[in-house]
Amino acid sequence: MADKLILQASHLNSYYGRGKARKQILRDVSLSLSQGEALGIVGESGSGKSTFAKCVLNMVTDIEGALIVHSQRPQMVFQDPYSSLNPAKTVGWILEEPLRAIGIRDKEQRKKRVEEMLALVGFSPSLLPRKPAQLSGGQRQRVAIATALIPGSKLIVLDEPVSALDVTLQAQILRLLADLQQQLGLSYLFISHDLAVVYQLCSRVAVMSGGRIVEQGTVDDLYDNPQHPYTKQLLAASLALDG
Amino acid sequence: MKKRNWYLTVGGFLTLTMVAYILVGVFWTPYNPSAINGADRYAPPSFLHPFGCDHLGRDIFSRTLEGASSTLTIAVAVLAVGFIFGLIIGALCGYYGGSADALIMRLCDTVTAFPSILLALVVIAIIGRGKYNIIAALGVLFIPSFSRLVRGEFLKQRDRDYVKSAKLMGVSNLRIIFIHILPNTWPVLLSGLTIGFNNAVLSEASMSYLGIGVSPSEPSLGYMLSDAQSVLFNAPWYTAFPALVVILLILGVGLIGEGIRSQMGVAS
Repeated sequence: MADKLILQASHLNSYYGRGKARKQILRDVSLSLSQGEALGIVGESGSGKSTFAKCVLNMVTDIEGALIVHSQRPQMVFQDPYSSLNPAKTVGWILEEPLRAIGIRDKEQRKKRVEEMLALVGFSPSLLPRKPAQLSGGQRQRVAIATALIPGSKLIVLDEPVSALDVTLQAQILRLLADLQQQLGLSYLFISHDLAVVYQLCSRVAVMSGGRIVEQGTVDDLYDNPQHPYTKQLLAASLALDG
Repeated sequence: MKKRNWYLTVGGFLTLTMVAYILVGVFWTPYNPSAINGADRYAPPSFLHPFGCDHLGRDIFSRTLEGASSTLTIAVAVLAVGFIFGLIIGALCGYYGGSADALIMRLCDTVTAFPSILLALVVIAIIGRGKYNIIAALGVLFIPSFSRLVRGEFLKQRDRDYVKSAKLMGVSNLRIIFIHILPNTWPVLLSGLTIGFNNAVLSEASMSYLGIGVSPSEPSLGYMLSDAQSVLFNAPWYTAFPALVVILLILGVGLIGEGIRSQMGVAS
């Protein structure tokens, strides 16, 4: 693997709180992500997977160890498209805002970028004057994905991007994410509790529990031959649900 | 089908009527509001004097027209002072939090702990009376309640994902506060503004009633009520019409506030 790394964490510890209340969340996390790769991070809630994402996004700054991000301002797609889009603004405004933030003052140029992005995510420009409340869940998540991609960052954190959607929509959005990854050469850090969803999008998986990575490897290895008891447990749980 | 919002309709109609009434008073009054006419002392309502006359034979209709306009001006100015400062303080405190927020909120609690009229009375006693002093004194007293209202809304909004998303994009904090979060707080702030307006009208009228309002030469609804009190049974129209003007003014705006709340589904 001579691929260039876009993200590298080695022996990363992170903490919440200050003074006596300072609590260690991540314990000795070492992970790397190559350009154009999709890495899944699975684990139950409280396992530290979201904290790791926050470290990557520079939202948690109390860290020890090395964390190198070779990407300008990694962006994030949030779990709940009902709260990640500003309810008071129109879709057009929401999509232009990241461009304003990176200093594109020319209105025509912004409009053009928005149109290109809409074509990529399969969202009709006729919906631009609408507010998020007037969109369906799937449409909202498309807008949320477009807002994350539009500044041009190559590293995207996906925080359970489909778990708020129903199953048919999940499949659509996952396919969209896979297409976008190919076309734009994106790297994904895919946070999820659902191994089945991770299997569809990612080539490698890291399993987290109690702030540690208990097992990582390619998707096929991990699914066919899980080593750690916790991984086995997770797999059994997702199989039971898929029935 | 959407149900018609009667609060907004009736409130809007009432308010527009009152604003029209007051605007008329700015340009035209049937009589000079200060013209004294001994022959018309306590004249009851008639075609010549629809609201009757007061103890100096002045036309009450003309006086309410002018009094209402000075009440409205003061109320709007007080509201503007309280709201602008309250908005800035509340937004910054709610968004940033921390020890500065705690300190400022305790300061607001301290101000709120005193009855506002009493505090205004003290302030007026120190800086003297007059229109602008009243606006300043009442305006400052309105800051804490608006600050708290705005702060509460910002506390609710600041941890939502759209704010986190804006931070990730690198949007500046001030832009997040005033462009991203503020529009989401308007429904609550607007209904707060209508309540504030009513309090401002009542405070101004109360202060004039207590004789610490605008200077006595200017007609004021509060002064008229104060003068009318002693002749409540002999000349009931002297009390009734100025009171009616106050009631209609705050009823209209109050209904609009209620209408906004029910329209936006905001819990009051």
